[in-house]
Amino acid sequence: MKLIKPVSTLLTLIPSIAYIPILIEIIKGFHIGGLNIIFLFISSAIKPSFNQEVVKSAWEGLQITIATALTSWVISMLIGILLGVLSTDLFWKSIPKFSYLGKFIKYSLAIPRSIHEVVWGLLFLQILGLNIWVAIISIVIPYSALTARVISEQLDSFDIQPLIAIKQTGSNFMSSFITILLPKLIPIVSTYGSYRFECAIRGVTLLGIFGLGGIGTELYLTLKSFEFNEMWTCLWMLWLVMILLEKFIRFSRSYLSENISLKNFFFISISIFSLSLSLGISWLYSLNFEIFNPLSFSYLNLPSFVEIRNGFNTLPLFKLIITTILITFFASGIAIGTPPLLIVLFPGKFSLKIQNLIWIFFRLIPPPLTTILILLFTNPNISVAALSLGITHMGVMGRLLTDNILNQEKSIYRAIKSNGSSKKSATLYGILAPQSNSYLAYGAYRSDVILKETAIIGAVGGVGLGWQLQESLSSFDWAQVIIIIATFSLLTISGEFLFNTSQNYWLKNSTNNFIS
Amino acid sequence: MIKFTKIIIALLSIFNLSNIGSLKAEEILRIGAIPDQNPEHLNRLYKVLSSELSEQLNLQVRYIPVTNYAAAVTAFRTGNLDLVWFGALTGVQARLQSKGSKVIAQRDIDEKFHSIFIANKKSSIQKINNINDLKTLKGKRFTFGSESSTSGRLMPQYFLNKAGVQSKDFKGASPGFSGSHDATLMLVQSGSYEAGALSEEVWKRNLDRGRVDPSKVFVIWKTPSYHNYHWLAQGNLDKKFKKGFTKELTNVFLRFNEKSKKQKQILGLFSTKKFIISKNENYNKIEKIGRKIGKIK
Repeated sequence: MKLIKPVSTLLTLIPSIAYIPILIEIIKGFHIGGLNIIFLFISSAIKPSFNQEVVKSAWEGLQITIATALTSWVISMLIGILLGVLSTDLFWKSIPKFSYLGKFIKYSLAIPRSIHEVVWGLLFLQILGLNIWVAIISIVIPYSALTARVISEQLDSFDIQPLIAIKQTGSNFMSSFITILLPKLIPIVSTYGSYRFECAIRGVTLLGIFGLGGIGTELYLTLKSFEFNEMWTCLWMLWLVMILLEKFIRFSRSYLSENISLKNFFFISISIFSLSLSLGISWLYSLNFEIFNPLSFSYLNLPSFVEIRNGFNTLPLFKLIITTILITFFASGIAIGTPPLLIVLFPGKFSLKIQNLIWIFFRLIPPPLTTILILLFTNPNISVAALSLGITHMGVMGRLLTDNILNQEKSIYRAIKSNGSSKKSATLYGILAPQSNSYLAYGAYRSDVILKETAIIGAVGGVGLGWQLQESLSSFDWAQVIIIIATFSLLTISGEFLFNTSQNYWLKNSTNNFIS
Repeated sequence: MIKFTKIIIALLSIFNLSNIGSLKAEEILRIGAIPDQNPEHLNRLYKVLSSELSEQLNLQVRYIPVTNYAAAVTAFRTGNLDLVWFGALTGVQARLQSKGSKVIAQRDIDEKFHSIFIANKKSSIQKINNINDLKTLKGKRFTFGSESSTSGRLMPQYFLNKAGVQSKDFKGASPGFSGSHDATLMLVQSGSYEAGALSEEVWKRNLDRGRVDPSKVFVIWKTPSYHNYHWLAQGNLDKKFKKGFTKELTNVFLRFNEKSKKQKQILGLFSTKKFIISKNENYNKIEKIGRKIGKIK
């Protein structure tokens, strides 16, 4: 019996301890004043508005979001793959003289991905104004860098012996590089790509909440004016579309992987990209976006050295950083700890399927909306921000865990159960244990994402660096904005390093593997 | 089968791309407003206004909605909006960032605008007569409107500071920011917050529409008056449209009256009887307060 298994299984449950301080703080600030509104919010879920105008504008918002996501997804995949290949050690083996270039690209990509897409959005809004390209660019920048990282890590982890062998036969390096790597690249692109598309939809929805249009804007406006029935119309429609889309992607992926040779796969990938790009752009165009008008730049007056120094003196940076770290810590606890806890508490296949559906839903509610709702019955504090971030990412984690469990071998579970163990402990050791290491590895990656998202949650929740960013932006104080973004970037880069290390640790011990 | 799929995909791509023609842009007057009220109110209001302006000025007018105050300022600075209905603070922020822009008109009520402080009946807060009694709000759950609102934040915060109440004195060590005047009313009425500050105009309109429940929420104090909302026009409109355009635009607003059915509806939605002329200098005091509170650099 390997000792590591029960230990890491328990480790998946331990993060849920984060609930204790959070609930204490929330209950301390609790007041019944907002309960009326919360009740109204929940009861509206079963009677969304079917008013023609509402459905029409929700549908239009949804189209804008999907078309924008599609366009930015394709662009970011293409750039990401290119940069990914360019930042592998492998690629530069052919031109060793310039191998520092590869390292340079690899490390400088840490900066674009350290900043959340919404923050990019708020910045580009200042330079490009209200323009659909702001949303596209803001998604493309961090997503390309993220894709590049995944691609280069995966490529560099492959065995390069065949490449050396082919090269020794005297063939051209480039063509051998392509012959060897392409078949390996394609499965990564196909798995990771579809995951990124989903992320893109979530990202564009979030951008909408911050005013860049689409279903996010509809959600935010209806919630802010307390038109809950209308809000639920948007939310249900988004949920439905996401499920359909997911089913469609899964179906076409399994169809393609079963029926098609690698060479054809390559052509199909290319055509999927070109089709998506043209579809996205023409869709946006038909939605009346001036997508072909040249961009006009309006320059900002960059702050002087003195202004930046003054900014340092006026900002309570230390406190803001600590708050941001605490939010990340607690939110990760909730996100990682809840799904395994629920599986142990409510075992069984039927219950798992229900949980799976619930997680899709939680994953869809943008964190700022949760914050607004929680703020109705408690005071703004760290816990509110942590809870709302935790809830969304709990959806992502839970969905992944239940998916994997539903697909996993049941033999260990059956064996343990037939020994006379209870259903709960059989679940703990037979179902959860084989997943734990990879789950924790994924959890480490999630914490990284959560840290980046504190930027946007604070803006609504009134705490942390995110709130200060919003306040400085609305005061048009560029010195402060620069300081906050630089601090954020440093914080997330160190976070990425830390989480990456722990992710690798768990992956090393992992029995099943999933990329993301 | 695969070959067929490929051909179809290729054809579709080509068809899609060829479908994208380019459209000739004609000059459009883009108007906007800070989203200080419920979006359905704004959408109704600006739909009628756009159609009336379009008729009067004989050009295409488009209303471009934005989701927060700062975005309206940004859209004005980047030239996405030609004419914006700003609050005093956002107007000054926008004017300082867009050279040559000009305050052209305001409503009669904007010359003497008031904020009001409201409280939930279940809270222990009493009506106050003297500004110094705002101190009773210390330790209460208090909400402003948008962080850039003049009547929902700037002026209330200014008077609170005058009475010796700082932001950190509220319960939870910070006030809430509801985002709009309607939201503030809703939050205080339901009891999510014990007290809040909002524009008197929005309060009155909600009273008229029966959306205020007097058994749950009441006014505790009305601020002294100050200059508020105004139309801010870009400095380049004469160049962009035609000579004397800004003047003509101003006159259209000044001529609005209740004889025309459409204009009457517009004035009604703006809660006013008429528009009057206004100028940049009316907002010097707001600028000073804005700098003091840190919303203007």
